[in-house]
Amino acid sequence: MTTAEFGAHNWGMVVDVDKCIGCNACVIACQAENNIPINTQDRVERARTISWIRVERYWEGDFPDAKARFIPIMCQHCENAPCEPVCPVYATYHNAEGLNVQVYNRCVGTRYCANGCPYIVRFFNYWEPVWPESLRNHLNPDVTIRSRGIMEKCSFCVQRIRRTSRTARSEGREIADGEAQTACSSACPTSALNFGNFNDPNSKVSKMKEDKRHYTLLDQFGTDPNVIYLAKIDADKKVGAGEHASHG
Amino acid sequence: MKLNRREFLALTGKTAAGAVIFAACGLPERELIVQSPVDLPEDLVRGEDTWYATSMGDFSNGDGVLIRVVQGRAKRIQGNPDHPITLGKSTARYDAALQILYHPDRIESPQIRYSKSGNLASASWDAAEERFEQALANADGGLTVVTNPIRGSLGLVASKFAAQFNGKHMAFDPVEQGVHHGAVKSVLGHDQLPTYDIGHAHTVLSFGADWLGTWGAPTGFGVKYGEFREQEHRGYFIHAEPRMSLTAAAADLWLAPVPGSEGYLALGIASEIIDEGLASPQNVAAFEAAIPGGLSGISLDDVSARTGVDVDRIKKAAHHFAEATPSVAFGGGSAGAHTNGSFNLGAIYALNILVGAVDTKGGIVSNPGSALDELPASATGASFAAWEEELAQWRAGNVETVIIRGADLVHGMPNSVAVQEALEQVPNVIVFGAIHDDTMDYADLVLPEETFLESWGTEIPEPGPGYQVVGTQQPVVGPTVSYDESGLISDARGFGDVLLAMSDGSYGRNMEGVVRSALSDLHSTGRGSVSASSAALFSNGALQRGGWWDTKESGESTIGRVAASAKSAQYSATDSLGEGSDFHLIPFHSNSLYDGRLASTPWAQQTPDPISSASWSTWAEINSEQADGLGIREGDVLLIRSTSGEIEALAYPHPGVRPGVIGIPIGQGHLNGGRYAEDRGSNVLSILVDEKDSETGALAWAATQVRVQRMGRRVKVPKFEGNVEARPIEPGVPVLVVGIGESAEHAQEENHHEYQKQFIGKDKEAEAHD
Repeated sequence: MTTAEFGAHNWGMVVDVDKCIGCNACVIACQAENNIPINTQDRVERARTISWIRVERYWEGDFPDAKARFIPIMCQHCENAPCEPVCPVYATYHNAEGLNVQVYNRCVGTRYCANGCPYIVRFFNYWEPVWPESLRNHLNPDVTIRSRGIMEKCSFCVQRIRRTSRTARSEGREIADGEAQTACSSACPTSALNFGNFNDPNSKVSKMKEDKRHYTLLDQFGTDPNVIYLAKIDADKKVGAGEHASHG
Repeated sequence: MKLNRREFLALTGKTAAGAVIFAACGLPERELIVQSPVDLPEDLVRGEDTWYATSMGDFSNGDGVLIRVVQGRAKRIQGNPDHPITLGKSTARYDAALQILYHPDRIESPQIRYSKSGNLASASWDAAEERFEQALANADGGLTVVTNPIRGSLGLVASKFAAQFNGKHMAFDPVEQGVHHGAVKSVLGHDQLPTYDIGHAHTVLSFGADWLGTWGAPTGFGVKYGEFREQEHRGYFIHAEPRMSLTAAAADLWLAPVPGSEGYLALGIASEIIDEGLASPQNVAAFEAAIPGGLSGISLDDVSARTGVDVDRIKKAAHHFAEATPSVAFGGGSAGAHTNGSFNLGAIYALNILVGAVDTKGGIVSNPGSALDELPASATGASFAAWEEELAQWRAGNVETVIIRGADLVHGMPNSVAVQEALEQVPNVIVFGAIHDDTMDYADLVLPEETFLESWGTEIPEPGPGYQVVGTQQPVVGPTVSYDESGLISDARGFGDVLLAMSDGSYGRNMEGVVRSALSDLHSTGRGSVSASSAALFSNGALQRGGWWDTKESGESTIGRVAASAKSAQYSATDSLGEGSDFHLIPFHSNSLYDGRLASTPWAQQTPDPISSASWSTWAEINSEQADGLGIREGDVLLIRSTSGEIEALAYPHPGVRPGVIGIPIGQGHLNGGRYAEDRGSNVLSILVDEKDSETGALAWAATQVRVQRMGRRVKVPKFEGNVEARPIEPGVPVLVVGIGESAEHAQEENHHEYQKQFIGKDKEAEAHD
């Protein structure tokens, strides 16, 4: 049974690449929300950074026709996640709301899940996370600090979903469309990142994913991600046969 | 139908077998799904949080934000959905500002230097106030209050305090915007910077200004950019800048003109529009009246030769701008930072006259004056020429006391003005700040200052949203003790509160009183977004919402004329700089450190630059083909010399920079600034040459030419690029791109066919070879 058939919520994200400006507001918002350790210069140089969401930048062409293309990548919360069945201790599992969840106190650090993930969005804690004492004041009490030797990744800000659902439940109502927001989607100034419930056909994300520009990353692996991308538009690209030129 | 027992068992068996067979034929991935309907402890949340509305103070354009506070600790900074500028959104700099509040190197207590050659020693506030009073005792007529450009209540208090002692209040902005203020004043008659109705424009044409990253009101502009792209007729965006900034990267058409030729490029676009009859005769007449000398002598070939931009690209930009209307044109940043900066920006803004985009939907939007006469709604740094005069007074011993806050003069001024020597000649230098900066090395009194999260104020964003806004700033946390409650992180006080305590009290006793008084005055206007029966209720209402705004109060433009300054740019000389290759230096604001004010925070330091993906360092962007020709490779340590000094930076070649241009981020190279900023990278501001805009006297900070030489060392650039293996959609196609109206599926098919062609070709070659 897939999440789409299971319950009221199937949380997912639609990333409109055409609106992404690569500003990294999402990256720093995620860092602050989820108590991600500081990526020191040493860790950057050793390619041991932890960044639950990253904005990849690719060059196309040469001067003066050079173009920089940005694409935000985070855990795709796959319905058919390669990381889930390989975990010997069930530290990563799929919950009833479409989230690929990491149980930190089960994780024994085999890193099989990271090996299996084609999106490279799982991060291993090679060191104990350390903050200067005073900076610990800004740590988010809703999010567990992960210790050395375990794996972590984007949780779709599950703590924010829980807080929103608790509020809605206490007020005797359903969660409204757009009410639950991840830190990254909340920060994104251009609304390139959109979070919502795919099980609600009237939600913004459900409508967005019907756009003809929709695709999923590494579709060939059949992972069935809950993150849908809308392709970047190049207004000067000549469209080949079989397509009607109209404003998308 | 009747079934006997045997038939029933046979049918049941077949059904079961069939079910197994069909299940086996189903999607195999179903087997892999492990689902749990149970909420695990990791999913649960504890405690209650409170969100306070306030304004960002110095760390943005007075953006309205919400602060999440849990058990007396600030946890997050997010955009305030009610605020007209931020509309609930953020930049990469918001949360980083939080780390100044809890910085491990915050100045704990006042510090006094008892003799110019002595060291700073910790002192009590009583001793500090006594020293402050001594400094003011003989300061009448010899006081200068130096701040960053501040508006609202704090700007008011700083100005009044200086006036009380017959002194002056000067604002310092290391990357001056005075030329921009001057251009919109001369062309559009605006006293405040305008905003732009990007969300309704069909074409946006911008020059030099990194408006999606660091210029103007990037959060609000980002929201409008999202709307611009979401329109039924997706907007077309053209950006001109010699180096590809974050904004240039978002453009549909990027033009990379020779630095300083942006004004000519604007005239070239205008020339094409007029020659092709794309503008109405009235607009053409109004445009030509606004340009000194009109377009006489302007031809596309000449413009192309001066700007280095192909004629075809100029024509393309012109046709989009004039035909896909409404259109809006604006500029700033490096386009105005030349000896001809006023001409460049004036010509750019005049383009709006040509297409009728002034005070119209999808065009230029004027901002009205301040809602309260006393509260300054506009501020800009004093011109570089004014600063040179002021520093001469300091050197001559004509200034008794200098009070500095929010302006790291030693880091921000070029070597050529030797501000350190000037500071040494001032008997009393008082510096406010949260973390030790480079200017404090020359201070006689250092006072720990509260951050915007701890202090009162009002903020008037500039540019505003097109109507009157007064944002409020309030303390959202109390004095902060360290994590183990061993003591206060900082015994800081607000800059405004200290000035008011030292004042005659005629303009307020403390900042809370000043803010509530301003809100009371707003209440008495009887208009705007907050209505209440009493001033006290009004004040609470404004504080809860993060401010007050009146959408009915708008501004109006008065078409003027471009200030007649030099049309061609002059650059600094490089003849005497020894060996190396000449480059044109374009400093640019760091997307996370800004001008260095966030360099002390690890979050800002670690945030990858959008273009280079570098962090924690200073790099130099040069054109990749030119780098190849010069034998420069990524990570080569470059020595970059101007007549004002020299710095080192790590080479980062890429195709998004004009050959002959070297782009270096501002923000690093601090001698102090706490453990995360000290002795890190280089300060590009220090090697700027004292060229000035001929009209305003502003520093032409993009007019420096440098000589670049390899040092013979190579180090790894700390960058995120390459840390994760790229997984392209198709080899050579990392990001799927579609044309207008094209589906992703169609684009993928085309990509796949393109990819296959190379193998088909190879097969044929192999066959022919056999």
